[in-house]
Amino acid sequence: MPDLSRGPSTPSAAPPDSDAEPIVVPNDFWSSSNPAAYGGGRPPSITHLHELEADGIQGDNGRWGRLDVIPARSDILLDLLRVNSLWPLLSGLACCAIEMMSAATSVNDMDRFSMFPFRASPRQSDVLIVAGTLTTKMAGPLLRLWEEMPEPKWCVAMGDCTVSGGRYKRSYSVVQGIDRIMPVDVYVPGCPPRPEGLIYGMMKLQQLIVARRGRWAERAVGPRPPRKWDGMNESGGEPGHEPEWSPVSGGAR
Amino acid sequence: MTATGPRRGGQSETAGWADDPGISVERPATIWDAVPPISPRSEREAEFYSLEDGEMLLNLGPQHPSTHGVLRVVAKIRGETVVDLDPVIGYLHRGVEKICEQSDYHMCLSQVDPLDYISALHNEWAPVMAFEKLFDVRVPRRAEFIRVLVAELNRIYSHNLYMGWLALDIGGLTPVLYSFIERDEIVEMLAALTGQRILFNYFRVGGVNWDLNPEFLSRLADWMSHALAQVEANTTLINENEILVKRTKGLGVIDGKTALALNMTGPNLRATGVPFDVRRAHPFSIYPELEFDVPVREEGDTYARYLVRVDEIKQSIRIIDQVINEMPDGPVMAKMPWKITPRPGRAWAAIESPRGLYGCYAMSDGTNRPYRMRIHDPSFNNLQSLQPLSENVMIQDAIAVLASLDPVMGGVDK
Repeated sequence: MPDLSRGPSTPSAAPPDSDAEPIVVPNDFWSSSNPAAYGGGRPPSITHLHELEADGIQGDNGRWGRLDVIPARSDILLDLLRVNSLWPLLSGLACCAIEMMSAATSVNDMDRFSMFPFRASPRQSDVLIVAGTLTTKMAGPLLRLWEEMPEPKWCVAMGDCTVSGGRYKRSYSVVQGIDRIMPVDVYVPGCPPRPEGLIYGMMKLQQLIVARRGRWAERAVGPRPPRKWDGMNESGGEPGHEPEWSPVSGGAR
Repeated sequence: MTATGPRRGGQSETAGWADDPGISVERPATIWDAVPPISPRSEREAEFYSLEDGEMLLNLGPQHPSTHGVLRVVAKIRGETVVDLDPVIGYLHRGVEKICEQSDYHMCLSQVDPLDYISALHNEWAPVMAFEKLFDVRVPRRAEFIRVLVAELNRIYSHNLYMGWLALDIGGLTPVLYSFIERDEIVEMLAALTGQRILFNYFRVGGVNWDLNPEFLSRLADWMSHALAQVEANTTLINENEILVKRTKGLGVIDGKTALALNMTGPNLRATGVPFDVRRAHPFSIYPELEFDVPVREEGDTYARYLVRVDEIKQSIRIIDQVINEMPDGPVMAKMPWKITPRPGRAWAAIESPRGLYGCYAMSDGTNRPYRMRIHDPSFNNLQSLQPLSENVMIQDAIAVLASLDPVMGGVDK
């Protein structure tokens, strides 16, 4: 049993790539009656989540332990918050928008899964659900909406038209898949997908955000081979071989 | 929303934050600007985009929660009053008519589904009737009953969504939740029959795809047991709401003559006192045998347009009641060859969709695909009246007028 009465510890083994000093927040508010509960047995020398994970203590115990030290790498922490309050942008293009609204209203209540309110302004939203056919005339405004959203942001392509062109594969005025002009994180196929399908896709997005914690800037434009750290698809290329792709807008590797 | 002062696009401007006169930003005009970066193409455009003192242009859309899709409206405002309006359409043009010319007659029916995506069954009905005229095929009687049954269900859920969205655009969130409960019930019922929730793709040339199944019928009976009560409950939420009544009564008044001149159809026209309903004026299918009224209001304002739709929901329930009771036995599909090649000719068919007269004009050159196919969509014609209706109203009332016209951009842009 470590000495819990000790004050907050100083970082002993900060990794070389850490962005800042750890934020030290002493817990003066509450303490458990059972000191071993809620991961209270965590050694105080561990100040960073990756040390915690290397230590083998994982899961809820590690995440919800005593709030004596919150590790730095603020993105790692903030992404956990973002996962639990994804604010989609209220932007419907065509038929899929009706199913998106149906997913948001009473019967299939998206709020239950912490995809919270639909915001009308791109400045306040995290996820762009492209719901409906994207035409060439709408492509410019939609791209502008995407660029107006603050990072970190994610994009969900809802419906066959946005995934690949779908039934408008032969049309002269439809963008054949929105991944030709903007990055896509989750594809939800269907014409249109059921509201449950959209909710499932958004839950996949939550998994993806957790898997990419702290590395949201590493996003490529266009279809690309899956990478190891995506955590959702382990069947990447050969080990040690990084596939070549061209970052178009801000897709820093 | 982007507010733009009196200036022409495409020219350099000094950014607002540039107190330092040394800083100026060369900003290329985009299609997002209220002022188009091109010289005016018509007198109307030149007049609209020349501003007088005290006027400014306000750009709404194409991404705007209240414009029902990707409609873009440029409003010329003086203070908070809309002086003039210029709707910009084409953000959802998908080239459906051209795709139909490359598809055979069966594939056309799946391509026209997403046009007016809230009433997909009506979208199929007009082309199906036009093709049946080309092929000269008689639809079995049971298939006609099933068509009327599902189309009226579709009309009910479309009008239900209208009720919710009108209230939503005026500022009430609750009615849209009730609308979607009702809509999801009907749509799940139709999904049990057709396999799809929005783009049903159920009608076929010569009949319908499947016969009614027990799951559909049990869901239908379940819904019919409380349908009228649910409509009453929804309307008590809205009809006498003080805010909604005060904001919609006397707003956007149009008289019957002007509405006819603007080629308005559907409930918007019937709210002005003109009892034009394609189901009665040019009877098709089994509508001559059914008893129902054509609800008409005289006022011609936004509130009347809302009430006409509420009455239509009740009439549709009445129609469904008769159809279920008188449904005959028999086949649901006429005997058709696998590959159908009609004789050369032309056909026009029109039906009453929730938004008005929905027509299809098809030309055949003797091959298995239509030579030309054109869709007449009522949303496009109803949207024309947005400009005369919202002159000299406040900006937020112009949004209410737009919601009351109920345009669906998929149908407008095709």
